Amino acid sequence: MPADRTYAFPEPHPGMDHDHYDWSPLNVVRAKLEWPNKARVTLCVIVVLEHAEWKQPPDSYQVPNLAGGYGWGPFPDVTAWSHREYGHRVGIFRVLDVLEKHGIKPTIAMDALTATHYPFLVRHCLKRECEIIAHGISVNRMITSRMSEAEEREYIRTSIDAVARATGKHPIGWLGPESGESARTPQLLAQAGLRYVCDWGNDEQPYRMKVPEGELHALPVSLPLDDINALWDRHVEIGRYETMIRESFETLYRDGADNGRLLVLNLHPFLIGQPFRIGCLDAALDYIIKHDGVWAATGAEIIEWYSNLRVEIP
Amino acid sequence: MARVSQTVPTPLAPDRVDYLPMIDRPVIKWPNHARVAFWVAPNIEHYEYLPPLDGVRNPWPRTPLPDARQYSLHEYGNRVGFWRLLEVLDEYRIRCSTTLNIGVLEHFPDIAEAMLRRDWTFVNHGFYNTRFITTFTEEQEREFFQRCRETFKRCTGRELKGQSGPVASNTERTPDLVAEAGFLYQTDWKIDDQPLPIKVRSGRLICIPYTSELNDAPLMRHHFDGDYYAKICKRQFDQLYREGEESGRLMCIAFHPYLMGRPHRAKYLAEVLDYIMSHDRVWQATTDEIAEHYLAHTYDQAVAHAARVNT
Repeated sequence: MPADRTYAFPEPHPGMDHDHYDWSPLNVVRAKLEWPNKARVTLCVIVVLEHAEWKQPPDSYQVPNLAGGYGWGPFPDVTAWSHREYGHRVGIFRVLDVLEKHGIKPTIAMDALTATHYPFLVRHCLKRECEIIAHGISVNRMITSRMSEAEEREYIRTSIDAVARATGKHPIGWLGPESGESARTPQLLAQAGLRYVCDWGNDEQPYRMKVPEGELHALPVSLPLDDINALWDRHVEIGRYETMIRESFETLYRDGADNGRLLVLNLHPFLIGQPFRIGCLDAALDYIIKHDGVWAATGAEIIEWYSNLRVEIP
Repeated sequence: MARVSQTVPTPLAPDRVDYLPMIDRPVIKWPNHARVAFWVAPNIEHYEYLPPLDGVRNPWPRTPLPDARQYSLHEYGNRVGFWRLLEVLDEYRIRCSTTLNIGVLEHFPDIAEAMLRRDWTFVNHGFYNTRFITTFTEEQEREFFQRCRETFKRCTGRELKGQSGPVASNTERTPDLVAEAGFLYQTDWKIDDQPLPIKVRSGRLICIPYTSELNDAPLMRHHFDGDYYAKICKRQFDQLYREGEESGRLMCIAFHPYLMGRPHRAKYLAEVLDYIMSHDRVWQATTDEIAEHYLAHTYDQAVAHAARVNT
């Protein structure tokens, strides 16, 4: 591996080692967050509709352990491709039915290939009053710092335009495929007219990001509860997965009595939408929704509320 | 500086499967009002001691060849595990559809005889599980299918109808060549809970999806064992049995005698079979039967429906 930096002994200053946001430990210096109707926990469910490409496009970057099949093997990997496509064909409908049953309006992260090539799915999501946010071009083409600024701008524009064309509405949220970002992504997202980003998993409340132009909020996802992270990367048993979601909620519900909390589940229909898994999601959400003081909201609703609060993060 | 492709291709590759959402589909009616067509897929395989390497996938990457540990771990399936699982399968009178390495028929005639006596269905799973289709030229692949079919016919007197890539290997041409060779179906497109049409350059081909999820091999590479396999198979069945009231569903369970045939695991296969076979509206079918049913009753409607959905 070639060295790309020369090391000097660090000379740290208090605070972050980047300019995307300020240091703000929860419950230490941060003002109390109040959700609508004094809810303790706001629940947001992001359903990821991302297309896995048959063949990785040249010069694109994808994570080495991309989920699917038996793990992606030599081309063509019919198993991995089919497993992924199962989400669009079959799994998504189970997931949306479960969310509807519990009165949870989904936030759909839709990539450009899905928005362009699956008009049926777009119509179905709109009929269910889902919010649709932009999600890059495909899971095989993520943003990394290898992109030039111009390429990254074009990539973001292509992704947003595909969703806007398909839905008739400019998306306001963004989730990068595999949370891919360069060091300039937040500012480019804000410049492109987006209001929130789901790539950052470091909080239990939304927070403002510092961008030179426009505005941008982070809507932090709980990565350990992401189905790919839990079920695929870490091979968590399905029953345990259900329990993890409940346990997360119980803690947030307790903590949320003093200071409102956020639980963002990031789900992939090709995994959680399998017949043997869907019941666990159903049961976990049933448990959560039966509590008083839970606000199930879309990303846009949460950011709208949050941005109108007079809470200043110091 | 890498240049990331920004193009949105049309149509999406591989263009083998028309998008057909699970909701709002032509209804599948299985025989006797069954809700679930249930197929049982023991993988009957042979892994070579000294396999030739194709430069793409090394079946035994742990050491320079041979790998006595890995070889014997797999061979246990044919010497011991197969016979143990046979007792379980017989107890529930299961008519298996085995993904079969054709070489087994010639190497181990007693296994061939045991399967034939039970009137199992056979899905071509290549010759050995250590030889993959991936790097074949079109001519090599065509010849490969022909020779598998000829060997099978010579050993059994029957014709093969189904094709499953060894270790799920395929080329981009595989569906075309599979249809051309005279197969009715593939099992590799594990994309649905029902059969589905596969587009080929001439003739008709469908897929009867196998499973990468209810499958002991990927599970038992990790910390999962027989108990978890039984648990998820039963959960899968419950969900599909509910949904099958509306339109018939398909369920496959897959296992390997070298894994599931171990002493501490066989009882969990029995647990699965006991549970599923205790339900009335289950069609414990072979893949050949399911394929013929789908081709006769649903294929044309599905193709016409897909054309409507995607406009």
